[in-house]
Amino acid sequence: MKGNEALVRGAIAAECRAFFGYPITPQNEVPEYMSQYMPDAGGVFIQAESEVAAINMVYGAASAGIRAMTSSSSPGVSLKMEGLSYIAGAQLPCVVANVQRGGPGLGNIAPAQGDYFQAVKGGGHGDYRLLVLAPWSVQEMHDLTVLAFNLADKYRNPAMILSDAIIGQMLEAVELPDKVENCIPQKPWAANGAKGRGRNYITSLYIAPETLERINLDIQAKYRQARKHEVRYQEFMVDDADIVLVAYGCMARICRTAMKLSREKGCKVGLFRPISLFPFPSERLAELAAAGKRFMVVELSAGQMVEDVRLSVNGAAEVDFYGRLGGIVPSPVEIMEQVVR
Amino acid sequence: MANLKELSKKGKTLASGHRACAGCTFPIILRQVLAAADTPLVCGSATGCMEVTTTIFPYTSWKTPFIHSAFENAAATISGVEAAYSSLTRQGKYDKEVKFITFGGDGGTYDIGLQSLSGAMERGHNMLYVCYNNEAYMNTGIQRSSATPKGAETTTTPIGKARQGKQQYKKDLTAIMVAHNIPYVAQAAPSHWNDLITKVQKALAVDGPAFINVLMPCRLGWSFQPQYGMQMARDAVNSCYWPLYEVENGVYKINSKPKEKLPIAEFLKKQTKFRHMFKPGNEDKLADLQAEVDRRWEALLKREAMG
Repeated sequence: MKGNEALVRGAIAAECRAFFGYPITPQNEVPEYMSQYMPDAGGVFIQAESEVAAINMVYGAASAGIRAMTSSSSPGVSLKMEGLSYIAGAQLPCVVANVQRGGPGLGNIAPAQGDYFQAVKGGGHGDYRLLVLAPWSVQEMHDLTVLAFNLADKYRNPAMILSDAIIGQMLEAVELPDKVENCIPQKPWAANGAKGRGRNYITSLYIAPETLERINLDIQAKYRQARKHEVRYQEFMVDDADIVLVAYGCMARICRTAMKLSREKGCKVGLFRPISLFPFPSERLAELAAAGKRFMVVELSAGQMVEDVRLSVNGAAEVDFYGRLGGIVPSPVEIMEQVVR
Repeated sequence: MANLKELSKKGKTLASGHRACAGCTFPIILRQVLAAADTPLVCGSATGCMEVTTTIFPYTSWKTPFIHSAFENAAATISGVEAAYSSLTRQGKYDKEVKFITFGGDGGTYDIGLQSLSGAMERGHNMLYVCYNNEAYMNTGIQRSSATPKGAETTTTPIGKARQGKQQYKKDLTAIMVAHNIPYVAQAAPSHWNDLITKVQKALAVDGPAFINVLMPCRLGWSFQPQYGMQMARDAVNSCYWPLYEVENGVYKINSKPKEKLPIAEFLKKQTKFRHMFKPGNEDKLADLQAEVDRRWEALLKREAMG
């Protein structure tokens, strides 16, 4: 099935029961499949009048304690940033999928990874982060969406699936498990009827600076916990490698082939694939740097994740970068030539 | 009144070679709108089929200056351009007469662009907003919009057992624009080209904002043979599904009153998005749509009689 359909199947399996969509290419299949599957699952599909409306519908649904989701592509995700900041401030769980396309501005509808900063560094205003997962296969579009819901609930924070036009539109075989692991905690904070208990407040407005600082420190403490427990990555032939390619999403797939081609040329190349972009696998990269590895970060951007790799190794290793822009996807041979050079 | 001979002398207002579908009706609408102007124009557009197919950089079909920024802000963007023109005029740096027209599809006008449209109309910019209304998000693959008629199948209002097509009636955006008390509001269709061109000329002549809602049969989303676009528009008018009328300074005038109202079924049966309506057991759905069309038409007749 298509990546975008797998994402929908994952969300339904994760007991997401409210989806708020809006058309934008290349994620249109997400609301389209949702409009078919969600009513059958006993949930609600609503097509909003804008991305701004959709993310605020998510705020409303998540406040009631149910698993809620929206999806979009780069320009539409920009419109959701205000809502995401409010959701993070109000400490509500939800999932947002970004099937990235070329930017800035209207850009085009080709695959790109130019939204890394927006996804990983917060995106909207204020001190907050999204929990960001980057699928590299149609299977992971399903599996990481389930995980994203679990993480969002666990940390009461919005989680993002940072995908792209390749993974969203690609067709691959997928194994759909009969049952997925849904960790849905009790939600005593939810605004779901106050009978027999005190009132719940869901807000991001704290006028008193002392209160707002305390809330901010609470939020930061959650991110420290996430950094401790939720780092996910995958390594390929890293042990004997002199050079380690670092790439996520669709680029990691291409880099895996580039790695094999480089090895055929006698270059000891490995691949490191961050799965969680926030929290970023900094510690492991620092270990690899200490072990004497060199890095080459490959992205469909002008160089965004490379900054986190450089922060991680903190000068202990050389970090090169190769990126293509505007929706151009480099071939494995092109990357191999960069590595060998 | 427009005269075909004179119009033909204007040459091609929109260059061919654009990438609209065969049988698409917006290039016809666009040519009629652009041919109506006697002064230089600056045009804008929201994201949508029209923008995507006519402005594939570095190519363009536009012979006027053209500006596009995003989906939700065609009215705001042209407001800014018009404000710059006012500023230059006031500074004495420019003295030619220029008119401003911006276009948006129904998604970019009825839904995400409504806020910026309302703002521009209320502020009173000297501009014309033309909605080319094909009743769904066609550019992204036929998703429902608030202009999609009740019962229509789209990719986000599928046909299932419990629900069949869109559940809501379409929004009456023309009435919302009338409520802004702007000098000129109209509904038009490309099948009635003389009416449409006259309306554009009136809209450009007023001092202040104007809005024209143009029905745009979409051969992809409505699914009809490419040669039938104008016939579809004519059927929409003759069934009173899409009344042609104008509101000049608050006074209503209906521009086309069919002698014999075409039954709505005649209009709907040519569109595959309504094919489920003609299956046994759905007679009430068809009757419901006919009743709603009748109700809106009668209300419009009454409104016109009030002056």
